Amino acid sequence: MTARKSGSRIETEIERCRSEGQWDKIPELVRQLSAKLISTDDVGELLLGEMKLQQFLKENPLKQNCSPRTACPPLTEARSHLTGALQRGNLRPELQQEASVLMGKLCYVEGDHTEALTHFSRVNLDDMQLSSAPIYRLAMIAEAYATKGLCLEKMSTSCPPSSAERDQEIITCYEKSGDIALLYLQEAEKALSVGMQNRSPKPGPVSQEQELGFFLETGLQRAHVIHFKNGNLTRGVGRFREILRAVETRTTQNLRMTIARQLAEILLRGMCEQSYWSPLEDPPAQSPLDEPQCTHTHTEYTLPRRARIYMGENLFCPQENTEEALLLLLISESMANRDAVLSRIPEHSADRVLSLQSASVVYDLLTIALGRRGQYEMLSECLERAMKFAFEEFHLWYQLALSLMAAGKSARAVKVLKECIRLKPDDPTIPLLAVKLCIGNLHWLDEGECFAQMVVDMQDKAAEFRAKGYLALGLVYSLKATDASLRGVQEEYQKKALGAFQRAQSLAPTDHLAVFYLALQLAVSRQIPEALGYVRQALQLQGDDVHSLHLLALLLSAQKHYHDALNIIEMALSEYPENFMLLFTKVKLETLCRSPEEALLTCKHMLQIWKSCYNLTNPSDSGRGSSLLDRAVADRRQLNTVTLPDFSDPETGSVHALSVAASRVEQALSEASSLQSSTPKHGPLHPWMTLAQIWLHAAEVYIGMMKPAEAMACTQEAASLFPTSHNVLFMKGQVAELRGNLEDAKRCYEEALAISPAHIRSMQRLGVILYQLQRFSLAEKVLCEAVQLCSSSHLGWHSLAEVLQAQGNMAAASECFLTALQLEASNPIMPFTILPRAL
Amino acid sequence: MLAMDQGVVEEWLSEFKTFPETAISSYAASLKEKASLVPALYKVIRENYSDLLEPVCHQLFEFYRSGEARLQRFTLQFLPELVWSYLSVSAGRNPHHSGCIEALLLGIYNLEIVDKDGQSKVLTFTVPSLSKPSVYHEPSAIGSMALTEGALANHGLSRVVYSGPHLQRETFTAQNRFEVLTFLLLCYNAALSYMNSSSLQSLCQLSSRVCICGYPRQQVRRYKGINSRMMVTSEFLVQLITGIHFALCNGEPDLGSKALDDVLYRAQLELYPEVLLVGNAIKTSLHGAALKSNKEGTRSIQVEITPTSSRISRNAVTSMSIRGHRWKRHESQENSIDSPDSTPLGPIPTISVTGVSGERVANGEALRGRTEAEMLGGAAEPGLDPKGQEVRRQKSLRRHVEDGTPSTGRLQPRDAVDLGSPEELMEISEVDEGICTQAAVKEGSPPIIVVSSSNVTPSIGKTAGKGLRRLTGSKSSKDKEREKEKEGEVSRKQSCGRAMSENLELLSLKRLTLTSSQSVPKGGALSLSRTASAAFSRSFEQVSNALGVTNRASSPASNHSPKENRHSACSLQEESYMEHLSPANISVQLGPDA
Repeated sequence: MTARKSGSRIETEIERCRSEGQWDKIPELVRQLSAKLISTDDVGELLLGEMKLQQFLKENPLKQNCSPRTACPPLTEARSHLTGALQRGNLRPELQQEASVLMGKLCYVEGDHTEALTHFSRVNLDDMQLSSAPIYRLAMIAEAYATKGLCLEKMSTSCPPSSAERDQEIITCYEKSGDIALLYLQEAEKALSVGMQNRSPKPGPVSQEQELGFFLETGLQRAHVIHFKNGNLTRGVGRFREILRAVETRTTQNLRMTIARQLAEILLRGMCEQSYWSPLEDPPAQSPLDEPQCTHTHTEYTLPRRARIYMGENLFCPQENTEEALLLLLISESMANRDAVLSRIPEHSADRVLSLQSASVVYDLLTIALGRRGQYEMLSECLERAMKFAFEEFHLWYQLALSLMAAGKSARAVKVLKECIRLKPDDPTIPLLAVKLCIGNLHWLDEGECFAQMVVDMQDKAAEFRAKGYLALGLVYSLKATDASLRGVQEEYQKKALGAFQRAQSLAPTDHLAVFYLALQLAVSRQIPEALGYVRQALQLQGDDVHSLHLLALLLSAQKHYHDALNIIEMALSEYPENFMLLFTKVKLETLCRSPEEALLTCKHMLQIWKSCYNLTNPSDSGRGSSLLDRAVADRRQLNTVTLPDFSDPETGSVHALSVAASRVEQALSEASSLQSSTPKHGPLHPWMTLAQIWLHAAEVYIGMMKPAEAMACTQEAASLFPTSHNVLFMKGQVAELRGNLEDAKRCYEEALAISPAHIRSMQRLGVILYQLQRFSLAEKVLCEAVQLCSSSHLGWHSLAEVLQAQGNMAAASECFLTALQLEASNPIMPFTILPRAL
Repeated sequence: MLAMDQGVVEEWLSEFKTFPETAISSYAASLKEKASLVPALYKVIRENYSDLLEPVCHQLFEFYRSGEARLQRFTLQFLPELVWSYLSVSAGRNPHHSGCIEALLLGIYNLEIVDKDGQSKVLTFTVPSLSKPSVYHEPSAIGSMALTEGALANHGLSRVVYSGPHLQRETFTAQNRFEVLTFLLLCYNAALSYMNSSSLQSLCQLSSRVCICGYPRQQVRRYKGINSRMMVTSEFLVQLITGIHFALCNGEPDLGSKALDDVLYRAQLELYPEVLLVGNAIKTSLHGAALKSNKEGTRSIQVEITPTSSRISRNAVTSMSIRGHRWKRHESQENSIDSPDSTPLGPIPTISVTGVSGERVANGEALRGRTEAEMLGGAAEPGLDPKGQEVRRQKSLRRHVEDGTPSTGRLQPRDAVDLGSPEELMEISEVDEGICTQAAVKEGSPPIIVVSSSNVTPSIGKTAGKGLRRLTGSKSSKDKEREKEKEGEVSRKQSCGRAMSENLELLSLKRLTLTSSQSVPKGGALSLSRTASAAFSRSFEQVSNALGVTNRASSPASNHSPKENRHSACSLQEESYMEHLSPANISVQLGPDA
């Protein structure tokens, strides 16, 4: 009884050793086994033969595409053991099968493919039991299929006329081998984790990290390699998916990482939405992906037992090729990321290169997939994870910077771009990108100047970009001029800006932007005729540029050709019917040279356009980066145009540093208040800002018509959107003034100034009201400040002159009147600075 | 135009009208056989003044309107040529000649933006997330993602993005031109696999020309034709690049790479980050793939058998191995009498803040951790003196290395374990890693360790609710934490199987707490680590369960629970840990009777 018991224990032990590949223990166990006399020597022979073969393979691993081994001592020994076991035929049937299979494998190793096949033909591999088979046997069967496939393939290459049937048989062998291999790996891992839990007090050495041998590797991968070689993409993709759907094991991790990446590559490079089929669907019978000549005889086979696949409720299943590619890449990324080699010591440089390569391929593919769908925000997060690879790697840094920029994270993007410049100081594009960000809503003018200077300093190396560099420099100066509060500084910057624009224009005479900004700069310094000349030139280069057209209209209005200006605006509107900036100017012009009623009609029209543009968009289409193509195309189109006048004042229009701050306060305040009131204000702010602007313009028209009630109603509409906007408060003040309620008006203007201290119009009106309230010296102070902040507004000068006159300072008053007169002669209907200045 | 071509086109124009509805699909199939038709049609489109242009456009639109997929694709194949024709004519400011092409393009657009019932179509795209199980993965196996704000915000949700509905367009204006063209390219790209090489070539040509006309590069490319600059948008260029990418990989490497270069050139001049991003990615990813320009086998997708074992050498410090390493170090802190604030932080903690995660810790990693330890410490030779082993046993190797004071754990039955070979060593460390959590449960030690989703009783509600509230981002004060600890009731659980692995994850999470402790107030640190746990469990419900359990489970040793609570925050000063967590106990428990 005891002998029996210990005998079975030895058998279990043997099984365990075979499963875990601990071949060195076999001889000892075989000795014990034969001592127990519970079995014949043949079992021992089989085990020893297997042991020799496996150990040989472990020490001399086979490589893909290498010549077979010639007979060598360990193999001869193995052969003699196995032959012994086989010849006597005393083995149990399943052991007999094992012996034949091992013999076949041995023959393959020795390069004798025909012989191997005869051994395999003795066993019907399909008959070998999969269910309830011990783990080692699963591996054995998988290897057997792979070996058979290999032999068949070798045979068919040596005698060329290969039939489709033969090819199919080969593929089936590999596919079965792969399937069983997956099953084996899962079972092996399960056994391992069970073993870990009830480990005996003195455990034997645990098995090393499992490694797939040559045969299993071949079995798992050869099938799809053949599919792709034959141009049968459909089946190859199917095979990939089968492997990937099997539950992961430690050993398959690297395989999965590679396959996931390869499948993603195929999905991105070779497929499109229409030729795609989802992993849970049957592949299309006919697909443009396959070579026309490839055969479609696919023998279906069923295995009694298969590897577990991912299952459960609510599994995410991709419905589109980009979705699937993205999922696969995220999986692959998580694994590649884990392998990032962090140590910088020289010995690991090869490893570092390897890990960097495998990761950067994945990140590039991720970029392609996410870029297609405009998901730059997510992309920037992914690329941030790549940063552990990025030390001194320009490509990764640059991609991160670009993704941050595309995701609208400007401040970080500039910082990353700085690193890029350090890594690649010769590339003019990088500092230019940085300037673009700096003079955008970051408003970092000093930094912008540095970057622009870098490009300019590159001299001829920058080639075509040098002109851009000057353009950027000019823009920085131009914006600085607007910000400057001292007249002298202002003029100096304006001169510098002009110089830079002229330089840009001479370097790139066909660039309409250079000419346009030159014209704009001249217009801002009120050199109207010169500006007109340049803007015409810009329009010759780029006839349908909206800003050039707008500038032309403004210049004409400065010359008091209001009808011509209106014609130009209407022409521009025929090409840009949804451009609110043009429409705002149109309202102004119409009030002047047609009738307020027409202006009101335009306001109504604007409301309709607003509705069709923004109400139409999907309600869920609110967040940044949520649109399929990019951030909502509508968003994007308006970003350049609408937000800028929002950031600035609709009246003075200057993109003033102070007003940037004010509009941020405004934004924050109204966001806070929108939390309390449930106004429908999700998503990007500027559609709502545009709406408020429309209402305010309508209010202004009503004020011009002396209709305080209507004006108030319009203002209220705007106030419901942005209750704390200085523009709204200003308009309230205007209404109060119209009603003759000076105290109220004063309060409103003061409130507006509290929110935006640089709001010129509030300042000017406040001055006027103080003047009307007979508080001359205070009025003078306020108006002086207004004139200093915006010296080009004739209204400020005029009011100041009146105050001075009232104070009896006639000399100064007449000076001021003269200035006001001069300025008025060149005053456009809207300030020139409402035109965006951006790269 | 040759008379023969004209004949072919005229025949094609006449035959479709005569077909009955039923014959359309067989007609569609037969179109492929007319070899001379497609080139002839290209000629018609290219020659703007041809009389045939208008009927051809009309016919192509009829094809598209038929709804038969093959006929639609037949029309689509000319899209790049049509777009170029339209753009070049409108750049020449002679819009009247392209009237019928314009109409055709707008017609296709207006058909594509509505579905079969005439409702506006909204395209959707689900952004996959690793935190949600899919046909290819299970979230728990992936380990953690970087714990970014975005990752937490999107946790467990699959984000769907929409495009559309789009406005019907009656005419092209400067404003909507590229909006329409971009959408048309999107449709074209959706059918890329069906496009033949002449269409792909035409796409590459379109891309090149649009990008270089009027720029100095035009001379380099020797393209004579229009020489005024064309305005483009970045979305349009990104769609072009998508098509170019396909062409590059499917038989047009030369034209494709030229086109890609031209688009990148323009994107640099226009400073479009989106285009540069995608273009650079394509360029580098193909650079490695070494395209083979085999005209016959059009696919350049090649797959070879790749070795499945990791090619990264074992003793390199990787983000994974460093996790294991840090994990050990952290535990040593638990065991020793030290507050981490005073521990000089080596370079390592700063490295992998984003890589922090719970991973399955199996033998491979343990091995890596160990070898790395060897590298750092140079002291882990097998057969060290018992003291050294003891140190290693407690996984405080780093501390050992750094200040040379082995922690004062108890030397006990573990001496019975023979620490002969590295393998054995490694395995022991594994046992420790696995078991200490269980031991911890039994001792009722720090809160974070015990999470078992299987063991949730309904009475948790209240605490769970709080936990959830904390998840939404508020920092709870330390005092609150303590109260909560007392609130909890005694419950013990055996964690095994998956629960155990989750424990491991959570344990390693605490490391995050450590690194973040510099910036976060201490009270908040704990809640941060709990928030972090959200990243790993499958759903918020489960998170709440986990938190509930956590709170409850932490209370058994209520006499010193407030202190222990801080255990997971940053100040570890308790003497009692030695009793609770020392591996010595573990091996006693698990030793002989197993």
